[in-house]
Amino acid sequence: MHHDAALVYTMRDVLRFLAAWALVHESADEGWRAAVARGEGLAPGDLERGPDAFVDGLAALVDAEKERLKRELAGDGAGSAASAGGPDRRDADLTTALEALRFDLAELRGRIESLQASVDALHGERDA
Amino acid sequence: MSARGRTIAAVALRHGATAAWRSGLGLRPRAERRRAVARALRLACEALGPSFIKLGQLASVRPDLVSPETVFELERLQDRVPAVPVDAIREVIRRELGAAPERVFASFDPEPIATASIAQVHGATLAAPYRGVNGRLLAAGARVAVKVVRPGVARLIAEDLTLARRWAERAERIGWLARWRPNALLREFESSLARELDLRVEGRVGDRFAFDFADDALVMVPAVVWTHTTRSVLTSEFVDGWLLSELGDAERAGIDARALATHGAEVFMRQVLVHGRYHADLHPANLIVTRDGRIGYVDFGIAGRTTPPQRRAIAQVLVATAYGDADRALRASRALGLEVPEAVEPALRSGVARLMRAHLARSPADVRGFVTGFLGLLAEHRIAIPEGYGMLVKALVTVEGVARAIDPDIDLLEAAKPFTTRLVADQLLRPERLRERLPAALRAALAELVA
Repeated sequence: MHHDAALVYTMRDVLRFLAAWALVHESADEGWRAAVARGEGLAPGDLERGPDAFVDGLAALVDAEKERLKRELAGDGAGSAASAGGPDRRDADLTTALEALRFDLAELRGRIESLQASVDALHGERDA
Repeated sequence: MSARGRTIAAVALRHGATAAWRSGLGLRPRAERRRAVARALRLACEALGPSFIKLGQLASVRPDLVSPETVFELERLQDRVPAVPVDAIREVIRRELGAAPERVFASFDPEPIATASIAQVHGATLAAPYRGVNGRLLAAGARVAVKVVRPGVARLIAEDLTLARRWAERAERIGWLARWRPNALLREFESSLARELDLRVEGRVGDRFAFDFADDALVMVPAVVWTHTTRSVLTSEFVDGWLLSELGDAERAGIDARALATHGAEVFMRQVLVHGRYHADLHPANLIVTRDGRIGYVDFGIAGRTTPPQRRAIAQVLVATAYGDADRALRASRALGLEVPEAVEPALRSGVARLMRAHLARSPADVRGFVTGFLGLLAEHRIAIPEGYGMLVKALVTVEGVARAIDPDIDLLEAAKPFTTRLVADQLLRPERLRERLPAALRAALAELVA
């Protein structure tokens, strides 16, 4: 009996502790969401208004990044991974570099085609 | 003096005399005098032909070189010249591409689509398929626009430039004229003209623009057919659609022109603030609304560049302008090369603040009014306008004008916000900046949590 009562008290303590932990998180979560909402409402230049505005702005930026990370983890595919700044940043950077290089190569091909057209025209003129 | 020299002198004298008469022999108010001179300059350019029309057009995007009145007057330069006979155009194509146009293309229209001082454009169709630099395939039979430099124009410009060089040398020795650095100015114009006369440069700028906006489904840039492009011939995809002057037809066909105008303003801001390359001559004739509801960009002859530090400074200027903060706008302008002597700073600051209240503290903001006033202020205080700055503000005003003609409620500063926010935030979140600010921010965050 005594043993059961001790167990009840212990359980209550654990529950109380967990409730306190949940409450802290709930409060922090509400504070966070409020900061994000305030941050989203900021206009360009407002970030420099002071520390509070800076934290709110930072919260909004972090939240936007978090949403992108969530989408990426949900497996939106390569497109969203490339646009995210998360773990696949390296892949995204490589894709961008590859696209830029591919463009440079194609541009070079264009220049060569144009020069070839001029060379062919001069050949034609000489032969005529 | 050569015959051409005598012609130029006679035209300059005639229009100079008219300007003097219209400005009441210098007795009328300053603004009126400037307008009279600007008008005479435009008419003289029109009378003197290709090189002067081109010079005028180049000057019209450079408020750092000429007064605001001249800039806005030169915008109206009529680049209407009689068409070159098609046989002369055929000869240029034969010389440049090695065969007559009828052999190079599946078909070639003898009637030009457009004629201007430097070049003339003819329609044609491709004889064989071609894959453009950006990967798009143009099928055989695809319609293309063939831009051909007018025969003899390069020689005429070279002759005019030889004369101009001699005059610039003399002007350099005359005190009040030397202030305008005629030799340096001429060299700048020469290199701009050389770029304009080499159509490959325009083709490359267009390809790069298409690459920058490959992810934007509403932007259309004609693909260049490089196998049919040389220094004097530029062959590119034909952009079929409506000119901005025919928007009524476009809207009747179900195109949302207002949405396109808003998007066009955002595209411009993205060019300037993200890519650092922008179309600096976005007047209505260079924009086409395509049949499938996209914005077609053509004629990349005049383009501007912005470096990363300049982009950050421009973002700061735009943010400061949006918030009516004259002090911050001037501070950020320094990073763009604007040198304000200490003695005139207070007067300039209060002048800018006054202009901001008059033109920007309303919705939509009147960027043109602000810019015109600001350039006038700089001229009044004899402050030199840096080259990039001048070209950019002029491009900004042109874009606003084009967008406003479609939707009078468009606010360019609003269109810039997403890009300026990102640039300013990136700047604020730099590690060194964070290290500097984090302790105070953390203290504030902890205080909030404890509360």
